[in-house]
Amino acid sequence: METMQKMIGWIPQLLAGAKITILLTLASVSAGLIISVFLALGEMSKNKIIRSFCNIYVFFFRGTPLLMQLYFVYYGLPEINQALTINSRFLAAFIAYGLNSGAYCCEIIRAAIQSIDKGQFEASRALGMSYSQTMKLIILPQSIRRLIPPVGNEFIMMLKDASLVSIIALADITKVTRSIQSSTSSSMVYIPAMVLYLIITAVFTIVFNRLEKKYSVYE
Amino acid sequence: MSMIKTENICTSFGKLDVLKNVSLAVEPGEVVCIIGPSGAGKSTFLRTLNHLEHIQNGKIFIEDKLLDYYENGERKYKISAKERNAELLEVGMVFQKFNLFPHKTVLENVMIAPVNVKKISEAKAHDKAVELLTRVGLSDKMDAYPNKLSGGQQQRVAIARALAMEPKIMLFDEPTSALDPELVGEVLAVMKQLALDGMTMIVVTHEMGFAREVADRVVFMYDGIIAEQGTPEQIFQHPQNDRLKQFLNSVIKQ
Repeated sequence: METMQKMIGWIPQLLAGAKITILLTLASVSAGLIISVFLALGEMSKNKIIRSFCNIYVFFFRGTPLLMQLYFVYYGLPEINQALTINSRFLAAFIAYGLNSGAYCCEIIRAAIQSIDKGQFEASRALGMSYSQTMKLIILPQSIRRLIPPVGNEFIMMLKDASLVSIIALADITKVTRSIQSSTSSSMVYIPAMVLYLIITAVFTIVFNRLEKKYSVYE
Repeated sequence: MSMIKTENICTSFGKLDVLKNVSLAVEPGEVVCIIGPSGAGKSTFLRTLNHLEHIQNGKIFIEDKLLDYYENGERKYKISAKERNAELLEVGMVFQKFNLFPHKTVLENVMIAPVNVKKISEAKAHDKAVELLTRVGLSDKMDAYPNKLSGGQQQRVAIARALAMEPKIMLFDEPTSALDPELVGEVLAVMKQLALDGMTMIVVTHEMGFAREVADRVVFMYDGIIAEQGTPEQIFQHPQNDRLKQFLNSVIKQ
């Protein structure tokens, strides 16, 4: 019972950490999604330079550990050039995670677009619509339904990946948990911490299930 | 003036020659039905007419304006994209799989191209859409989504959608092949009325009854060439080409 009381005592700190975790996750994946639409369209572009740039971007961010990307943005950039120093740990994490998420979401978006029946492109062309009109009015709106499950997955994975920011001393749930652990010499704090992660994951899951239902009205 | 004309067009998919020197001229108001076995190149030919397939050789004219001229895969005649698109707007197409936009209602499907391509006001497009949907017998389904409609209804919406752009030529690529037999009639009825109203139509079809009744000319394609063509009476009652005779026999057996 003493342990229970202790655990309840840790909750306010953990919740403060949760605020950072949730904010970082939502901001990074949202930014990543915006970047990824351009990347996905770029990968399908007829222009070789644009295509190559997008392929290289995706290759780099999927091919190196998020941990290293984070470290490099926060510690590595200032070493290259003082002007590149990012003082805010949160901002550094947001940049690294946003760019990373952009790469993973790009593949999700591209797959969603390419899963749309070719006949939709043909019908649009036959009606005289330009490529950009076809994308904007016909293809992308239909892609949204297809990308809800994998994007939901990306949010949920990013939630856990956010725990890496403890290495640049950003106070998310994991950093707070480890601080409490070292100051109390007890690992009991992991229990409420894990429960907190579970609750957040459950909320994301419910939200995405609802979104999926809402968009499947016409299929 | 011919409405649409091809001169010796050739198309290959890799090593496979799909169209070999196909020449066809369709007059305004004419209804041409293209028949023939699978793989004859009928659909490919139709799709070269509105640029969904490319040609490697030959010329394509719409309203006697040269649109495409290729020799050995090289484009020999430059026409501005603007001009080409303007001419291609005169060609409407109805697909075997309907290809309606599932995320838009029936009414929105019919309105979307006039509003966005021709920049027609939404009010005008709306009225035109209502008129067309009534014409094809679907005025009560205007706010439904395509997935709630039967195949025959969806295809009629597709026809209305193509007509909304006021094309001068309508291409039909096996419009009833994907339909349950009992739904075929309603689509053919709409097409027949369209023909009676004077639309220039090129129809790739297996519906011999329709060809017999409505076509001004029937074209038999086999193995990438036009093997024989003539009036429905000539083709169905007095076929000359052996392959055509074979084909008609196999069709009648069904």
